[in-house]
Order: sequence, then structure tokens, then C-alpha cells
Amino acid sequence: MQEPEILEINVWTRGVVMDKEGRDVTFALARAAQEEGKFVQAFDNYVDQPDRVNVPMRKYARISAVEIEDKYVYENHEPNIVVLVEESLLKGMNVLRGMRPGGTLIVNSHRPIADLVKFLPPHAPGTLRSFAVIHAERFARRVMADFLGAEGASVRGGLGRGIAGPIIGATARVGGFVSLDAVRKVVSDPAAAERGWESVQIRELGAATV
Amino acid sequence: MPYAYTPKLIHIPPEKDVPFGMIVPAPEVSGEQPGMITGNWRQKRPVFDPMRCTQCRSCEMLCPDACISIDEKGIVDSDMKYCKGCGVCAFECREGAIVMVPELDFEDGVVRLETVF
Repeated sequence: MQEPEILEINVWTRGVVMDKEGRDVTFALARAAQEEGKFVQAFDNYVDQPDRVNVPMRKYARISAVEIEDKYVYENHEPNIVVLVEESLLKGMNVLRGMRPGGTLIVNSHRPIADLVKFLPPHAPGTLRSFAVIHAERFARRVMADFLGAEGASVRGGLGRGIAGPIIGATARVGGFVSLDAVRKVVSDPAAAERGWESVQIRELGAATV
Repeated sequence: MPYAYTPKLIHIPPEKDVPFGMIVPAPEVSGEQPGMITGNWRQKRPVFDPMRCTQCRSCEMLCPDACISIDEKGIVDSDMKYCKGCGVCAFECREGAIVMVPELDFEDGVVRLETVF
């Protein structure tokens, strides 16, 4: 059972090749919310580690205005916001599992929204309030694979470098839980995050929040 | 009081019960591997061009999932339920008869899983 004040963010990514990007999205959003005085948690999924190349993986963030009491629940079972770092995850996984009506889905893809709607899980029309697409590769300075961060070593590129930057900006805008100024303070590539904030395409699917 | 040893067994679901070394038969041989569907790992899928194929069988031999089959007419096909999209077949094909195409260009071919493999 979810604590009512918590905003749960699930990020789906691909193992090894996009591992850092997925983790950066959760960490940067949580840190930006922390800048604004929220209580946050951000962590990887335990059972998805160790990751293998291209395996679907989950990263989690929790943001709350009051102190979070769940210290040991290591999965977000009822996500409010789901972010896909890679587009083909939309087809192969039920990414909206556990989401209650009124949720948000953000996909990193170069395709228009109309082409992606047909790949949504069958229960999406009653679940999703808004569906957003961001073409992150277009704004990222470079797409990089940094394997240092995977084992807890220092991350060379900083937080939110590469395709993570535009995705962080897009998620902050669509989710509406953190301001662009806070995101800009946290990420290492503020220009990319700002482009993501500006260029995300949103379609309202109209499921009401319960 | 003598110590009585009672073995404690770990419950493993039958579809994940693999022998030592994690060797499982290929889906071509054993039919279904329900707990090991890896089709949703795929970002790009191999598309085979039968006009350029020379029947060298490199792709069939080198596929790490053993999911490529060649029928009696010589048409090469890959089992999309288990193909991980690693691209070894496209890399090894000397004739360039295999190209990797993004997965979302196709409507079907991926089993939507509820939980991560």
C-alpha cells in the first residue's frame, strides 16, 4: 500500500547500455525535488541487478512533501509517473503495471505520438491521464556509455549528461512536481534539460485521477 | 539427543529449474521455454533477404539463442519470441542479407511480459 502523499516515479531502461541514463533520471529528479525542500528516495531495483546488455531494468524515485516512512520497501508498486528511456520497452513490457488511474507515461522516442499510441498496453486508456514523447537524442550533446558508475565508483560525466538531460527536463514538466530552476541546478547539462522541458509533446488521454 | 538432519529444499518454479551450468535446451529443440522468453530484450530485429542469401548457415550456427531456423526451401527465419536482437547474425552475414530494423517499425512479434524476466 502506497503512502498517499508520495509521488512514485518508475524509470525503465536497458541494462548496461542505458543503465547510467536511467539512474540519472531518478537521481536528478529526486535531488531537484530535494532542493525544493521535499523528502526523497531514489534507488535501483534490487532484483534487476546485476544487469545484462539490453535487459529491461527499473529505477525508482519517491518524492513526498512529508517524511517517507517506508525505508525498506524497495519497489514502487503503484507508480504515478513512468518514464521509458528507450522506446521499444513500450512494446515488450507491461510498463503500466500497478498504475492507478490518472498516471503519466513519458517515452524517449523519435516517433510521433500517433505512431506510439498503438503500442500502449491494453488497459492504458482507462489508466493514463497524459502521454508524452521526448526525442532526447536530438538535444543530447552526446550519447555515452559510462560503465564506472555502475559499480558505485565516481561518475565521470556528471549527473544527467547525455540523453538523460532532455528526459529529466521533459519529466519535470509533464509531472509538474519540480521547477525547471531546481532541475537546472542539479544536472550537469542544463541546456539539454531546458530543451527537453520546452520540446516535449504531450497528449491528454483523459483518465481521471481517483 | 542425537542430531536429526532434515534437508531443507528450496522451492524453484519448474520453468526456472535449470541444471548446473544454466544450460537449457534451445526453444527449437524443446518447444517452449515459458520462463525464459527474451523477445522483449530486442531493440532491433533481424530482417532476412532471401534473394541475397547463399545458404552458408553462418547465422544459424552463430546465433547465441539458437532461434534461427532454415526450412526445406532455404528460407531463413528467426523465432521472434526468443531473439534478443544481439545482431550477431547481421554482423556475420557475408552477403549482407540480414539487416537490423528498429522493433517499433513492426506491429507484432513481441510477447508483452508482466514482470521482468
